[in-house]
Amino acid sequence: MATENTIITNDNDDGIDRAGFIKCMAWAGTGILWMMNGGVLKSYGMSQLIDKTTGQLKQHVMVPPADFSFVQISDSHIGFNKAANTDVLGTLRAAISKINTMPSKPSFVLHTGDLTHLAQAEEFDLLEQSLKSVQTEKIFYVPGEHDVLNNNSKEFLGRYGKETKGDGWYSFDFKGVHFIGLVNVLNTSEGGLGFLGNEQLSWLQKDLEPLSASTPVVVFAHIPLWAVYPQWGWATRDSEQALSLLKRFGSVTVLNGHIHQTMQKTEGNITFHTAASTAFPQPAPGAAPAPGPMKVPAERLRAVLGLTNIEYREHQHTLAVTDAPLSESNTQ
Amino acid sequence: MACMAIIMTGSMAAIEPKSIASREFKNLSVLPKNISAGELSKIMIDEFEDGLGVSCSFCHAENKETHRPDYASDQKPEKEIARAMMRMTIGVNKKYFNLRRPLIGEPSLAVTCETCHHGVPNPGQQVGQ
Repeated sequence: MATENTIITNDNDDGIDRAGFIKCMAWAGTGILWMMNGGVLKSYGMSQLIDKTTGQLKQHVMVPPADFSFVQISDSHIGFNKAANTDVLGTLRAAISKINTMPSKPSFVLHTGDLTHLAQAEEFDLLEQSLKSVQTEKIFYVPGEHDVLNNNSKEFLGRYGKETKGDGWYSFDFKGVHFIGLVNVLNTSEGGLGFLGNEQLSWLQKDLEPLSASTPVVVFAHIPLWAVYPQWGWATRDSEQALSLLKRFGSVTVLNGHIHQTMQKTEGNITFHTAASTAFPQPAPGAAPAPGPMKVPAERLRAVLGLTNIEYREHQHTLAVTDAPLSESNTQ
Repeated sequence: MACMAIIMTGSMAAIEPKSIASREFKNLSVLPKNISAGELSKIMIDEFEDGLGVSCSFCHAENKETHRPDYASDQKPEKEIARAMMRMTIGVNKKYFNLRRPLIGEPSLAVTCETCHHGVPNPGQQVGQ
């Protein structure tokens, strides 16, 4: 019988099975060390850093920067008021409360789109007022298709697009990790699929060029960059081009929203993760004739909404992604 | 999922915008030409996206150069069908439910897209069909 210490599956496809993991553990210190050197963050395998004769760190090795964590929230749909959730502001506040009671304050929050339901100014205002109470340094946004309904995202970009490129894409670095916010909702193509477009892909290529392959990369966008369920538009038509640019990196984490449920998949060096909504659930792929807001019993609603906490630790080559429902209750 | 600016409605002075249109939408033939962006968005999302479980591209053709939805285009037959359905919905509410000035998107409607579609493009469609 499986215990919590048993590795059942190896989702990371990294060649490390249970036996391999134990072997690595025996070789204490296995992993990647991030070091700041001349203003440049570089990664080194531990074998490069350990002095084999003493078993200690080689001289002149700096202590790696502190770990950090950030939170992803998604699909708050402020303005939605149908049966699937008549109090989306209340459930957003519950998510905020969850963030504020986390053991360690997240360095920042990523909102992966559909902040609002109809892209109305008053909906954005309500969201902003609520998010002011989040205890974090900064909140980063990418738009969902609901945020760009009017005037091709003018309202969204007026608020959040000041330091972005093109239609709102951007990147930033935080403690050695490169973060990239992509916009794949403006050109939604046949079947509702997301679309990045050549201009954004060219920018992405240039943005990634100066980075070493050992730089951890986090990409976030609204519509999934992997084919979750293309029949429902839960994929991005030209995502392969973006993913091919990311293949050379050792650690890539792709965070999306849009489908209002958590799902994870690992392909080589890339881990894909979709977040739950803070507003309402949607059916599992293929479990209904079409996607859309799904009504669940009121007492179960908060168990199917939630947020995602992501922790970055220098000695691991993937980021630890944890989903948290707004309520632990899962009674029917 | 979401959609935007469309379409429609022909004979109607039936829909009265509550606020001034934030911009002029092109090729509206059923919905009023001065409909506000907010009202139009609400109809697109509530009536069509949620009512039929579809996204913008179900009715709107894609501009092959920009890859963006060409909201004014009548290229896709689904758009004309949507117009016909809106006219029918208004007619049913008028004729059988005695609503004087039925407005698409208004909660006072007795019959809406959702009444028959139940969140799927083709009424009666079941999972796996």
